[in-house]
Amino acid sequence: MGLILLLPILLFVISLTLGRYQISAPDVVRVLLSPIFPDIADGIPLIARQLVLQVRVPRVLAALLIGASYGATGTAFQAIFKNPLVDSNILGVTSGAGFGAAIAILLMRSTWQVQLSAFAFGLVAVSLSFFGSRLYKTTPLLVLTLMGILVGSLFNSLTSLLKYVADPLDALPAITFWLLGSLTNITWNRMVALVVITLIGLGLFWLLRWRLNILSLGDQEAKSLGVDPIQMKIMIIFIATLMTAVAVSISGVIGWVGLVIPHAGRLIVGPDHKRLMPVSIGLGGSFMILVDNVARTLLPGEIPLGVLTGLIGVPLLIILLRRARTGW
Amino acid sequence: MVNDQQSGSITIKTKSVNQKHPIEALRKVGQMKKQQFWIILVYILLSIVMIGCTAAATEIFPQETEQEMIAKPPVDEIEEVEEVSEDNDRLQDEEGISSEARFTITADSVLQGPITELYEGFFEGETPVFVNADADLIATRSISINTGRPTFEATFLPGFVLLPGSESLDVRRFINFAISPEGQQVLIDAGELPAVISITDQAGNSLEIQQPLQRVISAFGPATSIVYSIGAKETLVAASYTGAGDPQGASVMERIDPRFPTLASDDFFSRQNFNIEEAAILDPHLIIGSARSSWLDVVDQLGISVFLMDAETPQQLQETVNLFGEMFGPHSSAQAQAWIEYYDFIITEIADQMGDLSPEERVKVLFTGTEPLRVASGDMYQTDMIEAAGGISVSADLLGFWNDVNLEQIAIWDPDIIIVPPYGGASVEAITESTEWQILTAVQNGRVYRMPRLVAPWDTPGPDSVMGIVWMVERLYPGLTAFSCESEAEYFYNTFLNYAISGDEIAAICLVE
Repeated sequence: MGLILLLPILLFVISLTLGRYQISAPDVVRVLLSPIFPDIADGIPLIARQLVLQVRVPRVLAALLIGASYGATGTAFQAIFKNPLVDSNILGVTSGAGFGAAIAILLMRSTWQVQLSAFAFGLVAVSLSFFGSRLYKTTPLLVLTLMGILVGSLFNSLTSLLKYVADPLDALPAITFWLLGSLTNITWNRMVALVVITLIGLGLFWLLRWRLNILSLGDQEAKSLGVDPIQMKIMIIFIATLMTAVAVSISGVIGWVGLVIPHAGRLIVGPDHKRLMPVSIGLGGSFMILVDNVARTLLPGEIPLGVLTGLIGVPLLIILLRRARTGW
Repeated sequence: MVNDQQSGSITIKTKSVNQKHPIEALRKVGQMKKQQFWIILVYILLSIVMIGCTAAATEIFPQETEQEMIAKPPVDEIEEVEEVSEDNDRLQDEEGISSEARFTITADSVLQGPITELYEGFFEGETPVFVNADADLIATRSISINTGRPTFEATFLPGFVLLPGSESLDVRRFINFAISPEGQQVLIDAGELPAVISITDQAGNSLEIQQPLQRVISAFGPATSIVYSIGAKETLVAASYTGAGDPQGASVMERIDPRFPTLASDDFFSRQNFNIEEAAILDPHLIIGSARSSWLDVVDQLGISVFLMDAETPQQLQETVNLFGEMFGPHSSAQAQAWIEYYDFIITEIADQMGDLSPEERVKVLFTGTEPLRVASGDMYQTDMIEAAGGISVSADLLGFWNDVNLEQIAIWDPDIIIVPPYGGASVEAITESTEWQILTAVQNGRVYRMPRLVAPWDTPGPDSVMGIVWMVERLYPGLTAFSCESEAEYFYNTFLNYAISGDEIAAICLVE
């Protein structure tokens, strides 16, 4: 487990040396240290320094955080819905964010507006699902899941409508590219919200991870163990929604990770959330860094992340399944 | 809290013990370790493969482009300079120290200083000889003649030109030097030209641009077209091209500029995509992009100036060309002005020669897109072109970009002429050979035409679009104006692209299918 948590950090450092512009590993380390020791990076071209500090570091860091965030929220959602086929999008957050981004691309264009609108509509979608489910009183989880699917498809239709009216030379490719997910446009000033919300969220999930075990037993058992299941679930949904919304608002729609990373984690350490949560965080971060490295280095143009997660993830999962000996 | 936690973990323990026999659980731990080992191995292997891939990719996608790009343009210059110095040596060897100057110069007194600087910069150790008349080289204030097609001369300082007075090779070389970046550098060092200019791009950002401008990445096809038609193609280190993606366009482009194959980098730099690592390798001084590009935020982080252009109307296009002229130095500026004058000349001449046509006499034009039922809206540049050519765009009331319509709507418009664009698989036959379209007058009269192109389509908002207007007026009103596609194309490509276009090429472009 410790190793899996170290893995993303190792990959983070390796990834900084990857790219078409060749910078040797010692140079990368010197550049990384240059904000603390200003003289250490003397002799390295300014453009290489800018490239590492302003382009590669934020991008790889974003990949790490977003992957970790999807891993954690996926695990949490699967636990509280007691359903292994659930991912971070179960309450429609991704669909809502996609619609928010598309409408902002169509009307305004500036990147921070797109990000804000995606975030806001992600929250709107989840609120709709959540309060919609309150209309029907019994078996709240089932209704909540249903509402999530309904709200998700509602926003998907709206997004399709926007794509239909969008300018095919201008806005349409931008919307399509956004919906496929990409970390091309990451800069430090866009990272603030991601870093703050994701780190707090990951920390909370880390602390709450044992409660996920209780919740996954069922409401009666949880109550008998002194945990208020409803309150706990609402809190976890709230944290996970914020985390997913901020991740989606930055990276665009990256499916698959939140669904499969928890399964991969379960194949490695089994279903105990005390171990599963850290492993999902580590695996998610590592996987995302890996995928984004391919996306930015393989071809002259960017490959959308949403395309790659499946292409790289499925073979990895098959290897895991073949090797798995642990209980699900 | 503490209690809760304990009870939680206890539950788990009892659960797992209940499920599995203790020994089995122990074995499970061992397997788990093994499992972790495998996972980590897979990750490490993948990382290694990926590092390998990047290395291979940088080898396959030529790194040498960069070296070639740096090396190539100066090679000619260096050879030239070497030749010159060899000449020098030979002259001096044969005649001892030659007291005779290479050529004589006539220059206004204000120009003698800069000319001397240039002369001494080019022919090292020699001094120019100024005479009052019958000089081999004349430096003078440029005079604009506002009749007919504009011309422009070698402009080495704003408003001042160099005119050859003899056929001497040295004179020609000197003129070329004076307008080259190296010559401009000499004048900047002498304080005759500014070292930095500030300019506001069309997205409203102000930027400072080092002069002479060199090492430019053009990440937008129309921008590249403008750079070519203001005589600044030598400054490019990488460019995105419009219309050069197919073999035909590419072969013409290669004749216009032999460096085209190494410069073309639409995979790396375009409106949608900007490979920042590749840009860093090229170490550009300026990046030109479309104001509608989606990659702007990240490129800002590199600390390289980015000029954003937005040319969707004739006015904006003229403004863009003018700004490009300012950035690329006095000679490009003169050439840009000449292009703007030519554009105005064509539009006013067409209007004059057509006289007053009543709305009923004006030809109704339908401009279709990549699909026959996709038509140009009133907001698009094509509508401006149709109006400049004296026509009426039937779809001018539509908004936005390309609009999908149905055949009934087109029948109501009943255009006299249908024009299809030279891209995206659009073809005249798709309209003329379709039975439904036979109901239209334009189809019955065989007036369906395909917009020509040399490289960039003539209907894109770029320098070539002025040719599109000329071509269109000839199609709309045959014989009404004195313009012909053939003669204007010959003038245009010779003058602005410095491309000796062949008769066959002109015939192929202007041929009406």
